[in-house]
Amino acid sequence: MADTAVAAARPGQRSPLPRPGTGTLVRAGVVAALLLFALFGLPQLLSLYYIDSMTQVAVWSMAALGLGVLVGRVGLVSLGQVAVLAIGAWVAARLLFATAQPYPLVLLEAGLITMLTGTLIGLPALRLRGLYLALITLMLAGAITVVLATANFPNGGHGFFGYNGSLVNIPPIRRPGVAGSDPAYFRYAVVVAALMFLLVLVHIRTRPGRAWAAIRQSEPAALAAGINTWFYKLWALALASFITGVAGGVLAGADHYLYSIDFPTYYSITLLAVVLMGGAYSLWGAIVAGLLWQLLPSLLQNWGVSADWLTILFGVGVLQVLTTAPAGLADQVPKDLARLGRLLRGLATRRTT
Amino acid sequence: MPSWQDFEPFIVSGLALGGVYALSGVGMVVLYQATGVVYLAFGAVGAMGALIAWSLINDAHTPGWVGWLVCVAFGAVVTLGYGMVFGPALAKRDPLVKAVATLGLTLVLFGLMDLLWTTSGGESRAITLPTDGGGFMIGQVQVDWTQVIGLAAGIVITVVTGAFLRYTKLGTAMRAMANDREITATLGVPVRRVEAAAWLGCGVLAGVAGVLLADLVALDATTLTFLVISSLAAALIARLRSITLTFAAAILIGLVHDLLTPINSLTNYRDMTPFVLAAVALLVLSRGRVLSRSREEM
Repeated sequence: MADTAVAAARPGQRSPLPRPGTGTLVRAGVVAALLLFALFGLPQLLSLYYIDSMTQVAVWSMAALGLGVLVGRVGLVSLGQVAVLAIGAWVAARLLFATAQPYPLVLLEAGLITMLTGTLIGLPALRLRGLYLALITLMLAGAITVVLATANFPNGGHGFFGYNGSLVNIPPIRRPGVAGSDPAYFRYAVVVAALMFLLVLVHIRTRPGRAWAAIRQSEPAALAAGINTWFYKLWALALASFITGVAGGVLAGADHYLYSIDFPTYYSITLLAVVLMGGAYSLWGAIVAGLLWQLLPSLLQNWGVSADWLTILFGVGVLQVLTTAPAGLADQVPKDLARLGRLLRGLATRRTT
Repeated sequence: MPSWQDFEPFIVSGLALGGVYALSGVGMVVLYQATGVVYLAFGAVGAMGALIAWSLINDAHTPGWVGWLVCVAFGAVVTLGYGMVFGPALAKRDPLVKAVATLGLTLVLFGLMDLLWTTSGGESRAITLPTDGGGFMIGQVQVDWTQVIGLAAGIVITVVTGAFLRYTKLGTAMRAMANDREITATLGVPVRRVEAAAWLGCGVLAGVAGVLLADLVALDATTLTFLVISSLAAALIARLRSITLTFAAAILIGLVHDLLTPINSLTNYRDMTPFVLAAVALLVLSRGRVLSRSREEM
């Protein structure tokens, strides 16, 4: 019965096509409003507990964005992105302890050094086919985790590793002068994240984005069309590593103290899970992924529910996304809402007639 | 530099560890060949089975063998169940998608284990097999029976699986499916049933590996779940094809890992062994293969 109602409602539903440009303008307006709300509204509304969670959301949204570029745009699956994030955090922490450079410069350097490292590691792996690339990134992430566990994160010591195990008063990793407090640092993180999203958007709209789309459809066809597939895959890897490195830099300031146990190997798997659940094909998906992973645990903790349920939920989510909803929540929820809206409107019109 | 005597006990433990890696690796290769699935939940299934066995033995005070059998049965049931539900649903997808889906199962099991056997209390668990105590000496080195079982299990599984694939009807069907699923189906091979057999076999091996590794290494959800990476490394070195190569690579990984233990400068890095060996092997072996063959949908 509901089906017939939907079918009856459909012809009246067809809205006129928006003039070119209108949709883009509306979307830009929505994004700007959301950004302004995040910058000025949220810090007023939320308690410090949730502001810290939202800072983590910003950080992990960037990490999800990086992985989303690889998975959603180029079709490369990396199972080692959290190791890359750890490299970014390590570099930033080392630079922040060793130098008095301004924070944005440190973030940029952390991004660039992570980009170099990530690309150098990924360079030979890019020759492998999808499955093998995914598995080798899992191996490399495991290796990096072992190195980090031995080298430790810098804690104000001297030498290359900057770690002093006998240090009693460990100085916190500093934050930028303009963003010492938690709300201010949250705003700072949002601005950095917004810049990263803009960077990806620019890439998608221009030549690399088109090349990636071609590669994702079919690598042989892209090659035949004269696209240097190896180069553009490398570009995607470099971009993803850069963004993840910057995210690591923001994480260093947010946490003040870093430990290698904060970056376990299975986080890389969870990150892939939330990216798939959020939606790897959409930039919104990265934000949904960040919220799923960092805000939900805080909410659950507040309600006294074990965060382990989330791990289970993410596992189920991966299976559900892969079997029935490949574009994730960012795609599915608006569709489902629209369907629900049509259904309700259909019911309403039936009742009035 | 440590003397030769320091290395001797680690040869024994390395061979035992390598044997269990071989058993796991062979299970994963056979399943991949028959169904195209890299079963990344192998370790998690074994870990949860081992934890269930631990609870049965310590809380319900069942005899040890009941616990071990339940562990193996758990591995078999979960793996077969997953294969029956998600195998057909994902049959036509890229191997990458199939592998990532098993990560979903890994996360579910991992969350359950954290929930049911919480580790925050610092409670340490252990499974001891009756074979731990006895043993014999080779020269100066004490060898216990569990270590013998570990290596023997690896050898036996490799040989038996090899013979099974070569000489039995079911094994031939599995090899045929590794070549081409569609053509095999056209020839009248009951594809689903053969796949089910592969899932079941892999699940049994996951359970066996769970018990053995819980004894040889540690009974800890995270450790056991990610030990799968070591067996996976062995399977990858064999390019997920040859079980003989998988066996050799697994023994090599186990040996190198344990032999690094007495070397002070490298002992902290010994856990990198499987990753480094697999990465090097893959990069060397894959030279010249540039193009992906099919559309990599996600």
